[in-house]
Amino acid sequence: MKELDARGLACPAPVLQIKATLEQEDLNSVMVIVDNDAARQNVIRFLESQGFKASTTLRGNDYVVIGACDTDKMPESTPGQKAKTDLEKIMVMVTTDRMGFGDDELGKKLLLSFVKTLKEMGPDLWRLVFVNNGVKLTIEGNEVLTVLKEYEAAGLHILVCGTCLNHFNLLEQKQVGETTNMLDIVTSMQLADKVISI
Amino acid sequence: MEFPTDANVIVGLDAIDDAGVYKINDVLAIVQTVDFFTPIVDDPYWFGQIAAANALSDIYAMGGIPKTAMNLVAFPADKMDISILRQIIKGGIDKMREAQVVLLGGHSIEDNELKYGLSVTGFIHPDKIIRKNNLMLGDKLILTKPLGTGIINTAIKAGIASPGITETVTRLMATLNQKSAQIMLKYPVHACTDITGFGLLGHIAEMLAGSVLGIKIDSHKLPIIPGTDEYAQMGLIPAGAYKNRKYRETMVDISSTVDRASQDILFDPQTSGGLLICIGAVSAGALVNDLKNDEIDCSTIIGEVVSEPKGKIVVV
Repeated sequence: MKELDARGLACPAPVLQIKATLEQEDLNSVMVIVDNDAARQNVIRFLESQGFKASTTLRGNDYVVIGACDTDKMPESTPGQKAKTDLEKIMVMVTTDRMGFGDDELGKKLLLSFVKTLKEMGPDLWRLVFVNNGVKLTIEGNEVLTVLKEYEAAGLHILVCGTCLNHFNLLEQKQVGETTNMLDIVTSMQLADKVISI
Repeated sequence: MEFPTDANVIVGLDAIDDAGVYKINDVLAIVQTVDFFTPIVDDPYWFGQIAAANALSDIYAMGGIPKTAMNLVAFPADKMDISILRQIIKGGIDKMREAQVVLLGGHSIEDNELKYGLSVTGFIHPDKIIRKNNLMLGDKLILTKPLGTGIINTAIKAGIASPGITETVTRLMATLNQKSAQIMLKYPVHACTDITGFGLLGHIAEMLAGSVLGIKIDSHKLPIIPGTDEYAQMGLIPAGAYKNRKYRETMVDISSTVDRASQDILFDPQTSGGLLICIGAVSAGALVNDLKNDEIDCSTIIGEVVSEPKGKIVVV
């Protein structure tokens, strides 16, 4: 088993050491030795976030953390499988309740179809944000609600502008997503690899 | 240990609060605090800004208005160029100017480790001091800045945080609690403290010390700096968070439905965090709206004061 000695390293060095190792080598298991509890807990969190099951034993005054590939959690790995850090972060911002100009009836149908088709982006779809008239897609009675709830259950962060909901008096009717503010929206734009605005 | 004191001490060492308060006459008291630390960010100017904002915060948390300050400097003059110290002091001075605080002087020593901060004096009416433990049953708790500075600073140290997030967290830490305090003073607030090194739950625990009431926090309502959750899941958590948790373990009851990252954020040591304001339910909505309208966009009601369990914090 690959053994990493992270003793004497100040946080966040132990996590960085494992991260660098996992990026270079495809490991099914790894052993990390640390000398303090904070490092132990951080190493466990990191290993679990990478799909390992972590367990600890004591060795004198040190902690030995063993990470073993958790086949229950890991998706069937295929050569093309993207690691969590390789995913493109796509933010889609829906600013109204229709797509395009010219015919509003058509526009509303197009947007509903767009939202339903977003799942084709797969794990690259990182944030779905609704502002202005767009927030109306998140309230009770809307056609795409079921689809949005499925996305949310699958782990997509759906953000719905609080100021907009208040403006339309729809705060109580929101059925999906987290109520958000401009700071979240602007920072999400900065963090995203790609921002698509409809 | 016995401390020197006299009849004019309103808030002293026997009932520790965010700052000390000493009565001058029936309408005037001085509020005094001191704070300094080692660099939080790489940029010396922003370090100065953050250190100053952090030191001034305790005066605001008491309901006072800061007026005078003195610099506290520890500097490795043989290892570091003096221009770095000039940048730090400039950052501090610019922040003091923003707060309309005057610099009266300061003291510096030679030290292997760089440190900067301020001792601050402010003014308050003796009857208008906002203590940290005057909780009343049914009060709502409002937090004015988002959580996550400890975790994000760890991610920055790890070289993982993006420039965007680095800038966001730097600006947040350098933001004064002045505007929030000015708005707070227009309302019948019961208690207040500022959230710093002990993390949100650590400081709430101080509010509860010796109380027959309890506090319930809704973990889903917490304002959190974007990115914090992901870094917490990666284990980029400062050692202080674990210390904070261990210290208050017996006082805190966290529901198993609260995910681990959120639990870590609850104890994440904050630098220059926001105010945690405790106010009657009737006025809470109006105060939050007022705070929001003044561009402090993150203010949220995160919990309430309950009757059971006594002396404990429950997180759902």
